[in-house]
Amino acid sequence: MDYKYIEQLLERYWACETSLHEEQILRTFFQQEEVPAHLMPYKAVFDVQREKAEVSLGEEFDTRMIDLLSRQGEALPFEETENGVVKALPLHGGAGRRSFFRPFYQAAGLVALILTIGMAAQQSFDGEGKSQQPQYAQTDSMECPAQEFTPLLEQQAAELTREQTDSMSLTR
Amino acid sequence: MKKVSFRDDVLPLKNRLYRLALRITLNPAEAEDAVQDTLIKVWERREEWERIESIEAYALTICRNISLDMAGKAGRGNVQLNEELSTSNVQCSMFNVQTPDENQEQKERIALVRKLMDTLPEVQRSIMELRDIEGKTYQEIANILRLNESQVKVYLHRARTGIRQQAEKIEKYGL
Repeated sequence: MDYKYIEQLLERYWACETSLHEEQILRTFFQQEEVPAHLMPYKAVFDVQREKAEVSLGEEFDTRMIDLLSRQGEALPFEETENGVVKALPLHGGAGRRSFFRPFYQAAGLVALILTIGMAAQQSFDGEGKSQQPQYAQTDSMECPAQEFTPLLEQQAAELTREQTDSMSLTR
Repeated sequence: MKKVSFRDDVLPLKNRLYRLALRITLNPAEAEDAVQDTLIKVWERREEWERIESIEAYALTICRNISLDMAGKAGRGNVQLNEELSTSNVQCSMFNVQTPDENQEQKERIALVRKLMDTLPEVQRSIMELRDIEGKTYQEIANILRLNESQVKVYLHRARTGIRQQAEKIEKYGL
């Protein structure tokens, strides 16, 4: 077999005169196991090129990437999908974003529940009690002067705390 | 480029980005980080996508810069690699004297070419990667590396000549 063509291509390859197509011909030629001895030293060059072209990142990389981007809280890069190729991806990304805020939702819900029940308890207490001020002192203790605490009867105070603990146990 | 989608146009670039990053950092873990950082950066600049001519060239440029940063911080130079090469060179030839197995010989040649490619200066390495592995045109490579086409050719010529000379030298004296 005549290797003139390959030899010529090779010379032009070293001189950077080959086209991408011709370089592919060289890679294909050197892919075969048996190459004439005088061309053997160059086989490794093209073998390494083919070997390096196969280096790649796994699927887990995609998953991690989507997780990372969705955690930035911005619009998901995968919501735009039309065909079902990456069906699982938006789901995954969505779950990642939800779980990030979930603890806050739960905490906010709990606080709202305690406040509602506490206020309801206080209102029924208002109906019975005569002095309004002490009760407000209890609800808005941060804003009221300290002296307003004094008129609060010990019994009332005890009743209040009991009701509050009741409401707390209700939320559990 | 008109409509760019992250899933269809950006994420599939990951392997090309990874190979380029690997060529520069020579470290798989760092290369993976570089790709991750690149994709985040590309995603953050999605308002610009419509104005970019080639999202691939754009991503590759970012990836190269990030990888260069990483390689620079790690303080790796070609000097260190050259020393490594010369010692392994000796080991290779000694090893081959003892086992003149053809298959083994080819394995050693491949290992040597890999090392040679890693010891090239970064610009030559990156250009060789983009041309011989990714099959990019000179114009595309020039665009990615912010050089002109003739500069790209000069660097590639140096890289290929270097590899060729080493390969022939090893064949004559080494193996």
